[in-house]
Amino acid sequence: MKAKVFTMMMAAGVMALGLASVAKADMGPIESRQACMKANGAAMGVMVPMLKGEKPFDKPAIDAALDAEGKACGGWAGWWGEDTKAGGAVKSRATDAIWTDKAGFEAAGGAFMKAREGLVAATDEASFKAAFPAVGAACQGCHEKFRTAEK
Amino acid sequence: MKKSFSVLALLAVLGLGAAWVLSAPRPLTAAEIPRHTADLANGEKLFNIAGCHSCHLPSPDLKDVPAGSPAGGAPLHTPVGTFYPPNLTPDPETGIGKLTDLEFVNIVQRGITPEGEHLIPALPYTSYAHMKVEDVLDIKAYLATLPAVKSPRREADLPVAFIVRRGVGLWKWMGLDTTAWTPDPKQSESWNRGAYLVNGPGHCAECHTPRNVFMVRNDGKAFSGGPHPEGKGKVPSLRGLIERGEFKDAKDIASALQFGETMGYERIASGGMGQVQQNVSKLPETDIQAIGEYLAGLK
Repeated sequence: MKAKVFTMMMAAGVMALGLASVAKADMGPIESRQACMKANGAAMGVMVPMLKGEKPFDKPAIDAALDAEGKACGGWAGWWGEDTKAGGAVKSRATDAIWTDKAGFEAAGGAFMKAREGLVAATDEASFKAAFPAVGAACQGCHEKFRTAEK
Repeated sequence: MKKSFSVLALLAVLGLGAAWVLSAPRPLTAAEIPRHTADLANGEKLFNIAGCHSCHLPSPDLKDVPAGSPAGGAPLHTPVGTFYPPNLTPDPETGIGKLTDLEFVNIVQRGITPEGEHLIPALPYTSYAHMKVEDVLDIKAYLATLPAVKSPRREADLPVAFIVRRGVGLWKWMGLDTTAWTPDPKQSESWNRGAYLVNGPGHCAECHTPRNVFMVRNDGKAFSGGPHPEGKGKVPSLRGLIERGEFKDAKDIASALQFGETMGYERIASGGMGQVQQNVSKLPETDIQAIGEYLAGLK
């Protein structure tokens, strides 16, 4: 009997620990958005020097950066609840236009995903350099309208 | 008692008189407009760096007008109210087709309408005042080559206080420096070109320099960052861009302005700077490099 109770307690403890670690890994939508943007920035940091010719073209490095970026941004669609608008306790550079112009915001995201495909498909330096400006333009298109000036 | 009253009354009259004199429009005169043969390519260049189109956007009500036309009428929201920047196409009724050179220069460089009224400095004449008159005339000549669009004038939606236009004259007495720009002989030609483009037509200081309680630019703290013109957030400082690690060097600043995010420069896309960057990117590379050189030198 005692052994049974002990086992249950242990199991409960393990579960609680497990839940706690899940909760820690499961960031809120705003933290997730920011982590995704950081991963975008990191991918840029890998690619831009190659684009400018400061570093040699390195396909595996690009793939790894895009892979990390894809993973960090996987939950994108679920991060834009009405309760994540900037204001009050919520610190964010998201503009209200994200919610007032939902179609525009989705189109901007779609433009990025389409441009990103071109980057994934690029096999050599020439096709990489040809594919990159569309990605940059998609970043800019979204940042211009849906991100505020510095706070 | 009676004596002190009359002293006070005298002071009041003197004060009002001084305000009236100080607030009077001081337009340029015909003698100050040089004889000039227009250079259309230069006019287009300056139209771009001056960012004219970014505010004089075609109204959403205008059908079949290309987005690139400076037909005006689109709302410009500012903390003092909503402006509808007017039509810059050569249409004689609703555009600038009938303006004389002198009238155009007085609007752009002194903020004075042909009727002699003060304009609110939403039009950045406080920077354009430092431009070479010839450059302003070239912009006018370039605008005259654009397709004319009918875009009716719409009055600004402003609180009553701002309708007292004469009061803007008093503001100009503090806030409008009409000193013509002069090169610094100790600096390179390229640096001087950059300084002119940034401080004159580029009107960068209008957003990147803080303002005092009278909304006058605090040029003692030039380019150390200012409030956002639309009322929310801040516009970053342009001082120490290299020292703070924002950019590597003058060339890096120039590439950011030339390519923006197509080269991964993500920080200059938001808050309206994306449009500025696209305007600047239309300049010849030597001009963009000159701007980079000047900005890199702001400590």
